[in-house]
Amino acid sequence: MHDTAHDLAVQITALQKWYGAFHVLKDISLSVSRGARIVICGPSGSGKSTLIRCLNGLENYQQGTVILGGTRLGDNARDTSLARRQTGMVFQNFNLFPHLTVLSNCTLALRRVGGMARGEAESLALHHLERVRIPEQAYKYPAQLSGGQQQRVAIARALCMNPRLMLFDEPTSALDPEMIKEVLEVMTGLAHDGMTMICVTHEMGFAREVADEVVFMDQGSIVEQAAPATFFSTPNHPRARSFLNTLLH
Amino acid sequence: MSILDIWLGILEGFRVTAGITIYGLLFAIPFGLVFGVAQYLATGFVRFVVTSVIEFWRSSAVIILLFVFYYALPVIGVTLSAMTVGAMVLGLNIGGYASQAVRAGLQALDRGQKEAGQALGLSRPTILLRIELPQALVAMSPTFINHIIQLVKATSLVSLITLTDMTFRAKEISQIAYEPVPIYLSLLMAYFVACYPIALFGRWVERRVNPVREARNGI
Amino acid sequence: MEFDPSFALSTVPTILSAIGMTLLVAACSCLGAAVIGFCLEITRRSGGVQGLAVRFLIDFIRATPVLVWLYCLYFILPYYGIRLDALTVGIAGLSIYFSGYLAEVFKAGIDAIAEGQQEAAKALGLGRLDRIIFVIAPQMLRNIAAPMGNYFVSILKATPYLAVLAVPEMLGQAFDIASETYRYAEPLMVAGIIFLSLALGISQGIKWLERRLLAPMSR
Repeated sequence: MHDTAHDLAVQITALQKWYGAFHVLKDISLSVSRGARIVICGPSGSGKSTLIRCLNGLENYQQGTVILGGTRLGDNARDTSLARRQTGMVFQNFNLFPHLTVLSNCTLALRRVGGMARGEAESLALHHLERVRIPEQAYKYPAQLSGGQQQRVAIARALCMNPRLMLFDEPTSALDPEMIKEVLEVMTGLAHDGMTMICVTHEMGFAREVADEVVFMDQGSIVEQAAPATFFSTPNHPRARSFLNTLLH
Repeated sequence: MSILDIWLGILEGFRVTAGITIYGLLFAIPFGLVFGVAQYLATGFVRFVVTSVIEFWRSSAVIILLFVFYYALPVIGVTLSAMTVGAMVLGLNIGGYASQAVRAGLQALDRGQKEAGQALGLSRPTILLRIELPQALVAMSPTFINHIIQLVKATSLVSLITLTDMTFRAKEISQIAYEPVPIYLSLLMAYFVACYPIALFGRWVERRVNPVREARNGI
Repeated sequence: MEFDPSFALSTVPTILSAIGMTLLVAACSCLGAAVIGFCLEITRRSGGVQGLAVRFLIDFIRATPVLVWLYCLYFILPYYGIRLDALTVGIAGLSIYFSGYLAEVFKAGIDAIAEGQQEAAKALGLGRLDRIIFVIAPQMLRNIAAPMGNYFVSILKATPYLAVLAVPEMLGQAFDIASETYRYAEPLMVAGIIFLSLALGISQGIKWLERRLLAPMSR
């Protein structure tokens, strides 16, 4: 029992969230073991982004529990900062800091949150920029990079904090088709390195290749949860079937 | 001296404050309209002259303009009442700002508006008066209302050229009774009471003119 | 009495000798206004009772004349035994008055920062103070460079108000000459021309700086 809990990266139990009268997340329970790669998909407005934003305190919730790396998160500043130290997040719109160079984007949190010295932070940042295959852009500003490059920098920025869990919120939705590939390759590489990942994405090829489990959400609930092979070949739920149909056609 | 006496005393100056404001608007509105439109339409040398006139009124320090016109006009043989000098200087200063709002409003219009008018065979003056200006004036109205507030506040300067506005009255009262705290705080309140309703009106207009943007909180 | 060009010219050195004081007052007031204005805006954004109170305070400042603020500080502080020299009072008055406007500039500068910046900074685990210092403030500074420049010129143009408190800046100097010679037109005009040139020159300089400094970071 103790061992199972220890192997879990995230355990979400009976999570409920309302925006005013609107019930965004309805009784969500989900366990993610260490090293797992979870893809969450579903139509827009199904609550998938909201769900992963609850994991690092960008959204609060009214009921239920989130256990992250063995610690139960409460609604207080200490727990929120703990959650943010353990997770890295990649956003749909990159959200790089436009006034900082690529390198400074990566070192800011290392130095301010991690208390690392400048030189050490920079070499670590360069290491992660190499990991996303973009070290030559270190001294440019975000505006000088393509969307795909910016998103890879955003991934490197998140990796610098040595997160135990990476959250991806539709990381390729804002990209042109030719740039999607380079970002997905970086994400696949991360998966092969054993990173625990929760990805909200509609890239079904990525899901098929990388995910251990696909979670399908609709109208604030988890409707179906299965291994990708099963999910794509024989989806159980009619809404999952119609969703897959709209993606294919 | 009671608070009521102070308030009544300051209120005696309200007529001059309001008078200068309205009289000043009689300078500001025509100047802003004519020079704003002229700057929008003119090119070359005419535009340079128009811009220079606007910049003179807009970029000068208004307090110095007021003194210069008050003391210098008689030297060149022009004698105007202090009231007229005050209203003219303050009005044209605000008019200079207003002209920029008019011009910006005209420039911000979609070029298609003018082209649609031309395609319909309308003359340039008709396009300006019936198509461009009405839209520009609506767009600039919140800015203009802010300029009116600036004008009301600037009227306090006329106390320096002997006009008995609210500020002048406050100074007079404080010479009778050394009670600076209630007197000057009342004076602040008096201007606030005069200006704040205009500011609220301006916000209301702003909401009607521009689609609502939610106020954001937090860092 | 006629306008005497050679007398006007003779007043230039004396008036110009006070340009340092004028610039000092403008720079100190701008700094003071920026510090107070930034604190006001941060407090306003924090919400709650203090946020509402600050919101009202900003509205209040913006609805009251700068001249009256100067009188208030100048006459009220000594009543409570606080004796400051006119220069300090003047800078304090301009700082308070313009802080209300700069708070609005900061607000617009912060609102214009993309929503995701906050979230990205939070997701990296940066605390509120670090987010303000390293993420919000630098981007805000870029957004507010242009309006800040305009307000610096506005503050510069408000420095002659301090002549009312007998601070020896350029207008004060001009009045000194006027009261010694009984000739008002010439020194006042000279002061007016110097202020106008200064305002126009600094405006152009600021525009040039903006183009030079901000180009690399914008797309």
